Amino acid sequence: MLAASHIAELRAAVGPDGLITGESQLQTYECDGLTNFRVLPGAVALPRSTAEVQAVVRVCARHNIPFVSRGAGTGLSGGALPAEGGVVISLARMNRILEVDFVNRYVVVEPGVINAHVTQRVAPNGYFYAPDPSSQSVCTIGGNVAENSGGAHCLKYGFTVTHTLAVEVVLPSGELVTLGSPALDSPGYDLAGVFVGSEGTLGVATKITLRIVKRPEVVQTLLAAFDSPQAAGQTVSDIIAAGMLPSAMEIMDTLAIEAAEAAVHAHYPMCGGLLLIELDGPASEVETLMREVKVISEKNGAAEIRLAQSDEERMLVWKGRKAAFAAVGRISPNYIVQDGVIPRTALPRVLAEIERMAAAVNLRVANVFHAGDGNLHPLVLYDRAIAGQEEVALDLSYRILHLCVDSGGSITGEHGVGKEKQEALGYMFSEPDLATMQLVRCAFDPANIANPDKVFPRTRLCADRPGPYKPHPLETAGVAEIF
Amino acid sequence: MSTSAALTVENAIAQLSAIVGQDCVHSHEELITVSPADTRQIAQVLHFANENGLVVTPAGSGTKQEWGNPVAAHIQLGTERMRSVREHSWQDMTCTVEAGCTWEALQAELQRHGQMVSLDPLWSDRATVGGIVAANDSGTLRLKYGGLRDLIIGMTIVLADGTIAKTGGKVVKNVAGYDLHKLMTGSFGTLGVIAEVNFRLHPLEEHVRTWSATASDAKQFEGPLRALLDSQIVPSSVQIRAKRAQCSLDIRVAAVPECLDKHAFDLDKIFSGFSLHDVEESIWHARQDLCDAGHAVIAKVSVLPGEVCAHIADLQSNAAANGIETYIVAQANGLMTIAFGASSDALIAGIEGLRTKLSASGGSVVVQQLPDALRGRLDVWGCDSNALPLMREIKRRFDPQRILNPGRFVGNI
Repeated sequence: MLAASHIAELRAAVGPDGLITGESQLQTYECDGLTNFRVLPGAVALPRSTAEVQAVVRVCARHNIPFVSRGAGTGLSGGALPAEGGVVISLARMNRILEVDFVNRYVVVEPGVINAHVTQRVAPNGYFYAPDPSSQSVCTIGGNVAENSGGAHCLKYGFTVTHTLAVEVVLPSGELVTLGSPALDSPGYDLAGVFVGSEGTLGVATKITLRIVKRPEVVQTLLAAFDSPQAAGQTVSDIIAAGMLPSAMEIMDTLAIEAAEAAVHAHYPMCGGLLLIELDGPASEVETLMREVKVISEKNGAAEIRLAQSDEERMLVWKGRKAAFAAVGRISPNYIVQDGVIPRTALPRVLAEIERMAAAVNLRVANVFHAGDGNLHPLVLYDRAIAGQEEVALDLSYRILHLCVDSGGSITGEHGVGKEKQEALGYMFSEPDLATMQLVRCAFDPANIANPDKVFPRTRLCADRPGPYKPHPLETAGVAEIF
Repeated sequence: MSTSAALTVENAIAQLSAIVGQDCVHSHEELITVSPADTRQIAQVLHFANENGLVVTPAGSGTKQEWGNPVAAHIQLGTERMRSVREHSWQDMTCTVEAGCTWEALQAELQRHGQMVSLDPLWSDRATVGGIVAANDSGTLRLKYGGLRDLIIGMTIVLADGTIAKTGGKVVKNVAGYDLHKLMTGSFGTLGVIAEVNFRLHPLEEHVRTWSATASDAKQFEGPLRALLDSQIVPSSVQIRAKRAQCSLDIRVAAVPECLDKHAFDLDKIFSGFSLHDVEESIWHARQDLCDAGHAVIAKVSVLPGEVCAHIADLQSNAAANGIETYIVAQANGLMTIAFGASSDALIAGIEGLRTKLSASGGSVVVQQLPDALRGRLDVWGCDSNALPLMREIKRRFDPQRILNPGRFVGNI
């Protein structure tokens, strides 16, 4: 509970229409995309400007009140979960594109700008904003910066950090700093690089300078059907070994194909492992390389190879891919989403191991993944109505993460650590590694009020469990795919 | 040994010898050079130095030791015994390399599988991985592949107190924990010693062509350069070389052989008013040649990419007016290396004026080479960031005793 005097100070900071304190309204903010963790915040502030964000943060700093900044709340690791009795700072009203500079190829945006709106703004001039998380129609740049969001096309184009030139940040003390610059290599530590992906634990981004990229001349999308995800995975390795860098390479297994077909009728070939390869660039180059991709696919036993013949067909292929995860709800009453990374070469072995682990506990795991960069999204299917099955599923999903780390990978490629994987971070990094990260955190936030109790393992020894998947309200409403 | 009354140089040498072996400790006047064999030995050396308040300066081959403010060190920690490429997972296109490995040796190893770290730093025959990363050096390939921030996926570092910490990992896509490797890149050895670095790799550029065009004024390149960067050609490198009243613009394109002719055709159209001709790849050593030419003052200047030509033209006309020989090698991404033939009060005023002019658009001037006589009269970093107090706080947390390169970095960090 926030004291009445604190609420009065917050109200003074953002004005009477900028503060939510009523319980029913607060419930809207009690979780993000990881819906099984819920905490009612003490208040939600809706600042309209950097100055108002500073004013709110200063109230928090003065009284040691924890705060959590929040964009659209589509994050999948509980990063925007409110702190008990704390303040949520919603950046939804700070949604202006402030500057577009085509000569120097950057845009300056407020944190509440929706990812897809950046591309929409610059597309008429032949540019796009490259990071494309599947929630891009609703997720915000501020949230993308917090999570260092990726997307299917980051194989070629990189992540949010690749495209972030500068960030204006309200520090947890309320001070305002600018990290980075639109010109490269500004003197000093690369604090913009450190801030991106810090999951709201180092301050609140209030203005972001993003690189924009020239749109490629052509984009071609190929579907190749294999007997198994392993054969599809080998094809991915061979394409990379041939020196090519496709803009995206995605694999779906039978279960995921079934689910996607049921949901959006993407006309995928039914097979054990479906590989989706997208190449973009100058027309002559794409055509030459696509021929090579086809040869490699055939060599690896592709039963069917299909090139999308129109933009509509291409969109349908992607719609199926992006809907695949949510569509799994059609073939299983409940499921858990995971996000792990492995070295590409470990793919066949890890997939076989996941299959073995699932069979051993009589569960099914659907696999959809960004194969080019080894980012797996195993979906553990189960039925909560069967006594004890949820616990078994949770345990399996947790062991899959360990398998990723043991294979030389990571516990998260794009969803972040947040609330969900705090303990798993302790499996991936040793105590000295984590203590060194804490040095950075303490320099930014000595009072530990910015998104506290997130990212880093808590002192208790018991392991965290990832939660079962419950649809996000936006997803239920058909507004956006979340993955 | 002035900082610790109880410790003599002989005593320190004895203790350091016990860590790294007698043959790997040397002393010259008051400076002790120590060469650890591995990360654990780096940790022991730093722990010893930290306990005794001894100032440490990490060093690779020393090619960039002049950059930044001078440091009066007790110990120079050399990485020359840590030269191995520990792992090259060529199918995953990643590698792990020790800090003391020279850039050329690393690339030679990666080349065996047709791969590279897509960065062309200065003095690659001598410069080490650790030094290049600590100084955040980058060359012409940055236009296409990005800088070290985009190429480093993990690191092993040793803090001032001897803590060994890993950051990132060996996979390209990874958002677990803070990216401390980004903090370490370009931190000039002030936060810790880089022991190992994990890179993401790219395929070697097999089919490459380089073209060049000349003009009397860089402004003549402005339109064609913009058209080039807006075209479907994705050049690996674009640089402008300027000296006196002559400018050259160089373009390197790598593509499948079937497409190179098409790119050549398109380039001819873009540069229709110029005589575009093939040139040797050695043209891409221009920045290094400039640094090696014995000029009095060398600065790294960063401007917005769209303003490169205009700034070069301004600098050239200022040089002509002031009689200061000015040589420029600029990348299309806005990073320029500028050499001044003579140092003078006018030059100092000129650099400060340029800083003021560039600061509005986020640009900067960092002086990398300066005659001793001028040190102290000019802030080599010119950092006016409002994040400087935060940077100082990070330094304080990482190195409370200020034993790692104290004073070398921005704001005397």
